[in-house]
Formats: sequence, structure tokens, C-alpha cells
Amino acid sequence: MQDTEQTHPLQAPRQAQQQVTLNAGQAEAFAATFERLAAAVDTVVLGKPEVVRLALTAMFAEGHILLEDVPGTGKTTLARAMASAVSGQWRRIQFTPDLLPSDVSGVTIFNQSSGGFEFHPGPVFANIVIADEINRASPKTQSALLEVMEEGRVTVDGQPHQVPSPFVVVATQNPVEMDGTYRLPEAQLDRFLVKLSVGYPVEAAEIEVLRGTHQRSADAVPAVVDTDTVAQMAEIAKYVYIAEPLYAYLVQLAQATRQHPQVAVGVSPRGLIALTRAASVYALSQGRTYIIPEDVKALAEPVFGHRIQLAPDAAMRGASGPAVVADVFDQVPVPLPASAA
Amino acid sequence: MRPTRYRIRVAAVAASLTLLSALAGSVAARVYHGPTLTALVAGAALAAFGIGFALRNRPTWLAGTASTWGLAAYLVGAFVLTADGTRPLPQMVVDSVVNAVPRTLTALIPVEPAPDTVGVPIFLTWIAAGLACEFAIRYGRTLLGCLPPTLLYAAGLYLVGPNAGPVIAVAVAYCLLAGAALAVTSAPPSKRPDRDAEVDGGPAKPKATVLGSIVGAAVLLVAVAALAPLALGLVESSPDDPRELVEPPQLTDIDINPLSRIAEWAKRPDQELFRARLDGDAWMRLAVLTEYDGVTWQAGGDFRTAGSVLPASGDGDFTAEVEIIELGGKLVPAVADPATVSDLPVAINLHTRCLLTPDGLATGDRYSVGSDPLTVDTEAAAGARPDLSEPVSVAIPPNTPEIMTMIAEYITATYDTPHERAEGLAAFLSEHYAFDPEAGAGHDYPTLEYFLEAPLEAGGQRGTSEHFAAAYAMIGRLVGLPTRVVIGFEVPGGESTVTAGQGLAWPEVSFDGVGWVRFDPMPVDGATPVPPQETLEQLEESEEPTDDGGGDDGAEDYNDPALEDDDGDFDGESDLEDGRIPWWAWWALAASVLASVPLVSKARRRLRRRRRLRRGTPAQRVAGAWAEVLDAAARAGVKVGACANAEEAADRVAALEADIAGLPALVNRAAFAPGSVGEDDAEAAAGIALSFERRVRARVRRWKRVLT
Repeated sequence: MQDTEQTHPLQAPRQAQQQVTLNAGQAEAFAATFERLAAAVDTVVLGKPEVVRLALTAMFAEGHILLEDVPGTGKTTLARAMASAVSGQWRRIQFTPDLLPSDVSGVTIFNQSSGGFEFHPGPVFANIVIADEINRASPKTQSALLEVMEEGRVTVDGQPHQVPSPFVVVATQNPVEMDGTYRLPEAQLDRFLVKLSVGYPVEAAEIEVLRGTHQRSADAVPAVVDTDTVAQMAEIAKYVYIAEPLYAYLVQLAQATRQHPQVAVGVSPRGLIALTRAASVYALSQGRTYIIPEDVKALAEPVFGHRIQLAPDAAMRGASGPAVVADVFDQVPVPLPASAA
Repeated sequence: MRPTRYRIRVAAVAASLTLLSALAGSVAARVYHGPTLTALVAGAALAAFGIGFALRNRPTWLAGTASTWGLAAYLVGAFVLTADGTRPLPQMVVDSVVNAVPRTLTALIPVEPAPDTVGVPIFLTWIAAGLACEFAIRYGRTLLGCLPPTLLYAAGLYLVGPNAGPVIAVAVAYCLLAGAALAVTSAPPSKRPDRDAEVDGGPAKPKATVLGSIVGAAVLLVAVAALAPLALGLVESSPDDPRELVEPPQLTDIDINPLSRIAEWAKRPDQELFRARLDGDAWMRLAVLTEYDGVTWQAGGDFRTAGSVLPASGDGDFTAEVEIIELGGKLVPAVADPATVSDLPVAINLHTRCLLTPDGLATGDRYSVGSDPLTVDTEAAAGARPDLSEPVSVAIPPNTPEIMTMIAEYITATYDTPHERAEGLAAFLSEHYAFDPEAGAGHDYPTLEYFLEAPLEAGGQRGTSEHFAAAYAMIGRLVGLPTRVVIGFEVPGGESTVTAGQGLAWPEVSFDGVGWVRFDPMPVDGATPVPPQETLEQLEESEEPTDDGGGDDGAEDYNDPALEDDDGDFDGESDLEDGRIPWWAWWALAASVLASVPLVSKARRRLRRRRRLRRGTPAQRVAGAWAEVLDAAARAGVKVGACANAEEAADRVAALEADIAGLPALVNRAAFAPGSVGEDDAEAAAGIALSFERRVRARVRRWKRVLT
């Protein structure tokens, strides 16, 4: 596990991925930066350190975040705090039923002075895009995000336009108020690396929220890292070591979701890759250069939960994706090693 | 599994099972003469196991074929070794193979190691050893591998039957060997490091489940509960003898009732019966009669065909060479106790140890008998109690003549000890009756009553040895003495011709710890018999109570039933003395086996702990420490499922209030970050595991700590 080459702590190794492992210094530097970022966000999102950690994990895994909860629990605050903590460009899109795809991706306009068409980028061209109440937009507008979320580019009038890197969509949606909303299609859901629920704060945290209402603002969160650092950290996370038994363990978990009696469509290979990427970041955030089963389990519910399509009868009986994930973890043996005996 | 450990383990299992097979095969050798069969079955076990072991990585069909050829070669070699060389090899081999089973089951004990009697034990031992090797070595199923030798052991016990005493040491050794093999265990094909093995699939490994374990334990308990009473009942019983399924040689009339020959011999005393050359003076027995039905005396028990060496015999140093002249019938005269017979096919009555030749004696027959002459300790007999262990020797048919009862009462009242009564009865008969070679034959109740009661003038009070011996035996039983009648000849040492006049019947009385003692009730030649009534009337007159009664002179009343019950010394039923295994020995053996189970379990666990914590790479040792922790927690009642990761397992184990902080992280490093744990980590993990085990063990109940 020791890399003899001296590199900057947050600089990704230059060798081929499969031949390189990280050293402890890189992991510790990653963890320190991660902690500073999490601490900054925690100053406005009180009492939810694990949610903050998972959201940041998704960001460094170059994934998108779907925050789903009832109104007023801090979804938008979390998204804005994350954006503020990263000194990059961030935009907020308030999704409404009359929002058009071009309002999101941008339009091409004829410039009379130049005599040609010019592309005017939409709000999606930012490092962090806050898609507030994404389920209020029409399916057509929601679909405008499909390409950019997966490929990091927008195609307008046949011309592809690259969005800046890193690019993270932090979407929020309200699961209770369903009037005038459009449920996100499975393809759209699958593009979110994690789906998080902020939830109500505990009593002490809620008192603290009340006590500092006027002094605390998401926009006031100081920038802790810049986008280059985020990109470097995301690159480093690709070199986290994954033991062979864990690959089999991950595949068995995915297969178990596909074979589960309450599931119509299980976790896709993209979901499995997402879990692996997220686990890598999660391991690094704890100063480890290797993944352990605990990482996998910690991230399984937010990564797998929204990717599982329940069978109709199971859904009617009240089954849920997270419950299925928990059930699956009770079925697949952890690849702890056999002793010498 | 590492190759070195595998080799040690598999060698231990192989050695144990080879010895197990040899031991099981040698069980049957206890009824064979000499050590030949023991050596042969041991060699068969070694060869069969060796072939299977050498070919354990080759296909099963190849191992089976090689073993079959090896068995054929070994059998031919054994046939040649045990043959007498009188027949051509092909004929001898075919005859031995075809007749092996019936001759093995019908041969008299001790069985002579011959081609047709060694084949079956060798064949079964070879098969058992070969199967044991296949199961235990090729497929790694040690318990299954113990099954064939155990079945062989059972077959050997059945073949031996009641013809050899129990040998606890062999049974204990067998259990210990099996326990050793099971404690070491072999390795399933998936864990064998020595190949490239072709095992042709093999038996599927059953998946152990809690339900399966419970069901198995329940079945075992029910089986033990159902079979234990039956087994306990068998402890004191004698096993069945498969030889009893064979029809014994048939007797002629004169052999069934040989006592009638006395009168015939008395009338022709000069008839030459046989010529004998003895090492010294001796009584040669022709027949021993134990059963009386009021009409005839008969020998009890069946005759079994025997070889030249008779069962349960000594060296046979006393030699008697006999040439038959006019002695007829099938009964063979021999000096007691016969040990060897040569030049004559014989059968032996295991109850009386008399001999019989199935084809009958014919003029010119010559044979030689080696005997161990019986010696009687007269001093011991004088103070001994009667041996009442055989009910048939004290059985009294109904309608006993009154004169017999009167004489018995006289003897009982006159003499105190059993030996005195036996001598007194002989003296009474010799004093009150006379020998008359012309007396009629017969020894039924009326004839004996006439002999005992009728006056001399009317032909009573006279008889041959037939009458004397028969009357003595019956009156003796009325007195309480176990008796029998023996027919034979008094033969001087050296070479002589035995005539009919030397033929004689005599009574014998059995004394506890002494054996059968011969008594002579025959009168002195020329003596005039005293009418018995005179003596018996004196008894009636003296029946008034007197001070000189037997009970007041300090003599022990040997007829007192209470004394019989109370006096353990004279009871004489000591289990150890009569060769039977006392009941407590069985309980002790069972208790030892039960007690050894937790001991073996503890020893095995200790070895496993050492292996886990001290051997292998640091990562393997950390994993071993983790396994030790989980095992200790399971024994304390906290079981961690296979789906729990290290942190979850630690949370569950925390219920035992024993700290394993640091170990989950070490386990994860050992498992998922190769090369990241070192010697110090392994030592730390071992320390955590040992500390955890100690603390958890202290929480376990004391009885459970002892048992687990």
C-alpha cells in the first residue's frame, strides 16, 4: 500500500490506474479537506452531519444528488451551503410547470451585429446547479437534464457545449405535495448517484436552529475549496484500492436486489458503479486507501434505494427500496477472510 | 490449507484408519489358532490402505482396479502361505474361494488358519480398509471412513460369538484410534493442496444447519433411549454363535445312552476294546452324562466339529496314543482335558469336553490325544461349597424313590460339609451294596429303587458301576450336591490293552473353585454288604434332639440358604473370576467415553487456537484471532451471522461486555488492504482474542465451561 513516489497530497498519481495505489499521506490530506468542507456546511445544516457527509461524498464521486423531503427541512439550504463552500460557479433553477428546456440548457440567438447565431448558455452551465423542486417541471424539461447529468455536455441545435468541471446537480423534491408535479422517470432517477432525505433535526439541533436564525445563512458559508481542488480530489478517489472479494460482494448485492421477490427491476450496473465510486470517496474521507464492507453498507441505501423498482403488489403492501436494500444485506455474506485453520 | 499441515493431518488419519482396519480385522483372529490370521489381516489392511493412499489423486476407477488386483494377489499369497502343499495351486485356490464362507462359519474353534478359512477375513479387511481410505483420504470424510472398519469389527464379533471372552483393551484402543482420526480430521477435496486431484465428484457435502443438528441430535437421543435397555440386557447375555446354525453330528443309540454299555462290558470283561499307550496312569473318559429324566442319563450340549487343536485348551502335554480294537460307537476315549487330537477327525462337546468322531470308530483306527490332566486340590475341595451354577447338574426328576430320599436324609444328618457328604455317600453305597457283573442293565428309577431297597436275597443290593454311579448321582442331588456320571476306563501308564472289564461308570461332584471331583462308590471286592435299612433305622431312632447336633459344634451349616446368600466368599459368582466383565466396568467405560468428548473437544479447540493465532502470515493470524473471537462469542450464546461486517459483529459481541476494540479495524485491514498488517498487528490481535476469550469464559456458567 506504500507508494514510494513523492506527490502532492491531493494530486492524482500519474501511473495507470490498475497499477497504482494511494499512500497514507494522500488519504489523510483528502480526509482533512473533506472534514473542513463538511464542517463548513455543518455550520448552517445543523444536526445532520451524516447527510452532509453523504452529500459531499456524492459530490467528490462526481455524482448528482437528489434531496427528497418535506418542505422546510433544509434541502435547499444544504444545496446552497455546498455551493457556497466550493468557490466555483453555482446556479439555482427554480423548476416550475411552465419552465422550458431552453430555460435550463440555453438558447441559440441570431446576432445581427455579427450576422451569426450565438449560443447563450442556460443556468445549467455552472459547477454546482441547484435544481429546486425538480419534480414540478414538465417531463420535457426534466429530460433536458438527462444528457448533461450523464455526459457533462449540452447539445443545442446540434452543437455540443461542455459544462464546466466539476459539475454537480443538487436537486430537491417534495414527496408529499403531488399536485402539479411530474414524477421523475426511472432513467432520470438512475442518473442521481444518491438520493438523500434530510429529515427533521433532533430536538437540540432544532433549538440551535431557532437560536441562530438571523445569524446563519447558507450564502454566508465561506468557500473552503475551489473547483480545481474538488476535481483533484475526485480524481484521487478513483485510485482507492478495492480487494477482489469486495468486487464479488458488490455484484452479489446487486444480484440479490434483482432476485428479490419484492423487486420488479433491481440495481443496474450503473448503480453498482455508482456505489463503488461513492464507497471509494467514503473510504478516503475516513483516511483509508481501501474500501471495507462498512463503506458499502453505509452508502447502499442512498445509492441503491431509489434505483430499485418495486413490484406492484409489494409497493401496495408498503415495501420500500431501502427496506429491500436492508433485506439484501441480511442475505449476502460479508467476505471476511477465512482464518488459517 | 498449507501442504505441510495437510500432509501431517492426512498421515495421522491414514495411520489411524489403517490401524483401525487391522484391529477390526484381527477381532475374528481371536478364534483362530496362532497369530497367522492376525498378521495376514494386518498386512491386508496396510496394503489396501496403501494402494488407496498412493492413488488418492488419481481417478476412483483406477484406484478400484489397482485395489482389486492387489486383493487377488494378496489372497493367493495368503492361500499359499497357509496351505499344506498337498494340492495343486489352481485347485486349492478355486476350492478355497468357492468354500470360503461355509467353511469359515462351520469350522470348529480354534479355527486352523487354512486357505479356506483365511480368505473371508482377509477379503473383508481389505474392502474395509480400501473404503476407509476412499472416504477419509480421497473425500476427506473421516467419520464416514470409520464406518467400514466398524462394520468389520461388528462382523468379527459376530463370527467370534461366545467362543472368546471380551477384550476391553481392544475395544478401548479401537475407540481411541477412531477418536484420534476424527480429532485430526482429513481435508475435503476443495482444501487439498497436493493436487490436481481427480475425485470424480465425490459425495456432496451436506450443508450444516441448526435444524439439521437439532434433528440429528433428537434422532440420536431417541435411538439411544430405545436401544440402551436392549444393549444393557445384552451386556450380561452370551452372544449368539453362528455355528449353532450348523447341524451337529448325529449320535447313535449307544452314544446317546452309553451308560447301558457298562452292563454289557461287565458281562464280557475280557473283550479288548482298544490299545493305548499313555504317559502315565490316567482315567480315559468316554462320555460325561449330566441330564437325567428318571429313565436314562444323557450328555448335554451339542458336538461341534473341531480341528486338530481343540478350543479353550492348554498345551496338551500328556499324550495318549490309541489304536481301536473292538470299541464301537462314535464316542472317542480320551484323557481329560483333551487339547489336541491328531489323525482322527473329531467333534467336541464344549460343555463336557468329550470327543466324538463323526464317522464312528473302526478297528484299526489310530489317533493321538494331547491332554492337560485335571488335578484336584483335595484340601480346597474339603472346605468348598458345591458349585450350583449349572442348574442341570442339580435337577431332580419327579417321583423320586423313597429309599433315595431316606438315604439322602441320612447323609445330610450325618455329615456336615458338602465334601464330607459326598464322601459319606460314596462310603454308604460301598458299604451297603455289592458289585455284581451279572446285574441287569438299566438305571431308571424303578431299577435304582430295586437296587437300593430290595434285599440281597431278592437280587437287590447288587449292581454294576452303572447302578452305583447312577444311584450316587441322584442321591447326591437330593443331598444338594451337583453331580454327573462319567463313563470311561482306568488305564495304566505305558502301553496296554484296555478291556471291557476296565470300563467303568463313576460319579463326579462339582465344588466351587475346585471343579468336578471324582468319587468312588464301588465296594471293596469280597465285602459283604450291610442291609441299608439297619443303618437308616438307626437314624430314625436317633432323631431325638441331642446336644451333639451339627449346629452346636461350631461347624458351619452348608445347607443354610441364608448363609448361602450372606457369605460372599462361598457365593463364588465373582464376575472377575468367571471371566465376565462386571457391570460397573461397562458403566465406567461409557462414562470414560462421555467424559472424553469434552476433553477431545477442548484439546481440538486448543490446537485450533494455536494454529489460528501462531501460524501463517500476519493477515492470516489476524483473521484467526477474529475467528477465535466469534467462536468464543458463539459459545457464550452470542452468534454473529455471516452477513455481518466487522463493525456490526463487534457491536453484537459488545453485549458480552468484553472489549475487542481495534480488532475490527485490524480484520478489515487484513482482509481488504493486503500487506498492511505486520507482526505487531498480529500479536495485538492475538492478545485481544485471548483476553476476550478469558473474559467471556468467565461469564459462562461453570457446568457449561466444563462441557464446552
